[in-house]
Amino acid sequence: MSSRHLSAIAGGSLLLLALAACSTTPPAGDDAEAGGLVGTGTGAECSIESEVPIAAAFSLTGAAAQYGSSQKNALEMAVDDLNEVGGVTYALTVEDDATDPQQAIQVFDGFISSGASVIIGPTLSNTAKQTNPIAQEAGVPVLGVSNTAAGITEIGDYIFRDSLTEDAVIPQTVAAAVEEFGLEKVVVMYSNDDAFTESGYQAFAAALEDEGVEVIETLTFSKTDTDFRALLDKAKQSDPDALVVSALIEAAVPLVTQAREIGIDAPIIGGNGFNSPALISGAGEAAEGVIVGAAWNSASENEQNVAFIEAYTERFDGAPDQFAAQAYAGMQIVDEAVRANCSGEREDIKAGLGGITGLPTVLGDVSINENRDAEHEALVQVVEGGKFAILD
Amino acid sequence: MFEYSSLLTFIALTAILAFSFYAVLIAGQLSLAQVGLASLAAFTSSLVVPNEPLFGFIPPLLIGVVFGMAVGVIAAFVLGLPVMRLRGVFLAIATLAFGEMVRIFLINQSWTNGAQGLSFPKLVGIETAWIALALVAFWFWRLSGSRMGRAFAAIREDELAATTMGIDVPRYRMASFVIAGAVAGLYGVLFAHFTRFADPNQFSFEAAVDGLVTAVVGGTTFFVGPLLGSVFLSTLPELQRTLGIDAGWIRPAISGLLLLVVILFLPGGLAGLIPRRRSSTKLVSDPAALPQLEPLPARGTEVMSLRGLGKSYGGVRAVHDVDLTLATGEILGLIGPNGAGKTTLVNMVTGVTAPTGGSGTVLGIELAAKTRAHRLASAGIARTFQQIKLFNRLSALDNVLVGGYRISRDTLLRRLVFLPSARRFERQAAAVASAQLIRVGLGDKATTAAGDLSYGDQRRLEIARALASHPTLLVLDEPAAGMNHVEAERLSELIRSLAADGVAVLIIEHNVRMMLALCDRITVLNFGEVIAAGTPEEIARDPRVLEAYLGADGDAAAATAAEELAEVAADAVKGHDDAAGTEDAR
Repeated sequence: MSSRHLSAIAGGSLLLLALAACSTTPPAGDDAEAGGLVGTGTGAECSIESEVPIAAAFSLTGAAAQYGSSQKNALEMAVDDLNEVGGVTYALTVEDDATDPQQAIQVFDGFISSGASVIIGPTLSNTAKQTNPIAQEAGVPVLGVSNTAAGITEIGDYIFRDSLTEDAVIPQTVAAAVEEFGLEKVVVMYSNDDAFTESGYQAFAAALEDEGVEVIETLTFSKTDTDFRALLDKAKQSDPDALVVSALIEAAVPLVTQAREIGIDAPIIGGNGFNSPALISGAGEAAEGVIVGAAWNSASENEQNVAFIEAYTERFDGAPDQFAAQAYAGMQIVDEAVRANCSGEREDIKAGLGGITGLPTVLGDVSINENRDAEHEALVQVVEGGKFAILD
Repeated sequence: MFEYSSLLTFIALTAILAFSFYAVLIAGQLSLAQVGLASLAAFTSSLVVPNEPLFGFIPPLLIGVVFGMAVGVIAAFVLGLPVMRLRGVFLAIATLAFGEMVRIFLINQSWTNGAQGLSFPKLVGIETAWIALALVAFWFWRLSGSRMGRAFAAIREDELAATTMGIDVPRYRMASFVIAGAVAGLYGVLFAHFTRFADPNQFSFEAAVDGLVTAVVGGTTFFVGPLLGSVFLSTLPELQRTLGIDAGWIRPAISGLLLLVVILFLPGGLAGLIPRRRSSTKLVSDPAALPQLEPLPARGTEVMSLRGLGKSYGGVRAVHDVDLTLATGEILGLIGPNGAGKTTLVNMVTGVTAPTGGSGTVLGIELAAKTRAHRLASAGIARTFQQIKLFNRLSALDNVLVGGYRISRDTLLRRLVFLPSARRFERQAAAVASAQLIRVGLGDKATTAAGDLSYGDQRRLEIARALASHPTLLVLDEPAAGMNHVEAERLSELIRSLAADGVAVLIIEHNVRMMLALCDRITVLNFGEVIAAGTPEEIARDPRVLEAYLGADGDAAAATAAEELAEVAADAVKGHDDAAGTEDAR
């Protein structure tokens, strides 16, 4: 009896403790309400007394953890770099959404009530569709740094992103490939159970149609598949000029390897999912000649980019990927938006984000268009000699 | 909107999902189909939820909820038809496959927008979610004390015993499945209309496991369990955020550890922390509460007639060509060495095993391959088992209440609206059960869990449970096993009084001395065949009977029986001689 009571008491007090902890958390948004976020001067001379609270929700654990962790690293680095500039100081809070929309919604709730000036994230597009309406309703600007699906910025006028959609990258990739290889007929393959690869497929289909390339066959698979030989045999029989593939990197590596194994020599054109060093390390020789369109490339000679790669590699002991670069650029864009009106208020940041034009970042010169989507030059790369090179 | 409104809404929604698992777990079924059903309901509801209130006053969400619950019910029923025969892990795998099928199906439909997901209007807020949860919890609260709730618990504890109490097990399993489907449908619709977006991949295997874990952590024996599980699992991440634990792997690790602690130290789930009475029903010893029971058939009515009944397993003839009749008010004994086929015969008579030869009629029901035990039970046959089959985690009184299934009415609907008749019917059922419990001498142990009783008490409880169904034909399979002489004598008295009331009794027992004293007629089986039948005196004198027992090598019970048989036969002869002597003396 006593042990049962003890555990009841223990459980009860834990719950009480939790409730007490919840209720005594001071709302961190006092400054924002007091208007201390409005500074003096503009642009580089802008000086804001209070720290500007920046919140970020990334998938640090769960299925998308590998993306979230590089986003977190790069964002922290960007905040440190910008705080050194002076005038404006940012206070960054990074939270984990555990790749779970339920968690993400709660994280967003917390950010909004704690007075975040702007929210960066979340990592996945489908999560953004559930969280961003909350920020929109509360009037908090959101900058997506990895959401590429359609319909994200349509959620509302507080929702922005610096990640190029598949619709922006893929037409450039297809056009470059058509020009390079004179494609006439292709086989398209994609995993149809993933939001990202499916929207990639739709962009490919549209771009191929625009270019007047015939699609002989469209083959679908699951994002968890690893054996593509049967599908590839089928593709081989139609003797296509190229294989067009929209897949995540986990499927891309075996797919490319097996295609070369069964003797498909036609070029392989990949979507954004292929833009990973893992393609080269995983597929090795087989990856040679694969064409990948991307929003960012490590071989880009953009001065900022070179410096960024160097600093990131030194600090985190590993090369940055596209997620890192886009997160870093996101903070650069936020900084520009804050300095434009020299204010860390939500409305002012929103106005600032809308006015970004030709801002030099690690991604190149970024503009935000009237649909609140980023515009910058995409890169078409080809794997050459075990490296991504820019396709000229 | 305040900081924790989403958290509180998710607590309610997750609890509703957990209730859909609770609905099957209380009937002892491990189904993982609920998440798939929720997904199906959520996506199909998008096809019918209107933008404007229907007829100007029916809110769109209500239409979605009703539709979604209907989809859940229908899909659960259709799925249930083929998978209902599966048990345990096989059912889990089949239902898991169903969930995966739904996911693949929805991904490949154009109206769901595939993997890119579908947007839903936000129609659910914190109030709606909690009202829905309250209604669901209310339903399960009222269910727990009803006849249906007891039937679920009985099936969970022992399906075979439940069947022989007259419970139509497949029907109740299907009912629990369908209830789970309705609750899952409700969850799916509410969830999608709260988060404003759903893609089929969200309703995955992991989501199913999360739902199951929530239900189990909360506890599956008390209706507040799912809510407790939901509070625990939903607040953990928020709690860790509030406490300032760094985002990253450490949080899931802590959550996992706490989960482990709960599972290890609270086998009954978090609901086990809530102090409450073992049994919700109390002993009702007031004779005025006893209902008027239907009278038994007139004494001497034939209730069982077997003609050449047999059962063979492949080439092995367990029972062969048995003719047997039994009338009300009669006590028929069945003896024979171990393996003689007594229990097989009794199993055939009670519908547990189908005969392979001959024919038989019990209480007007033909014994055939598709005769189901619960039908015989509802016709008025009740039995006990050689290997005790009690509902171990239920109290003694609840065990006997399940026994009263046949003569009580279902009170769930009445309980939902608190009709006074529900109370009256429940009290009547409790009075019948209490009377039988007191009759076998277990009145003071009414609230003890059946599994915690001593062996002899468990035997007596089984008899009380059988009696609670007010049977016409009572079948007792070794009721005196493990009882001492005094207890066996008390049991004999009880059986005699039942026969005097007009109950037909068929009894198997190794205690030959007791059988010879108790039975009106005895049939002896050996190697599946009747070797002798007649009055106890005739049996005691029959050399074939003694031979059969002596022939059973290495069987201690048979040796004892043979000894007793010889003693009784000697006594009988002596008595006869004495009588003859007296006569001579005249």
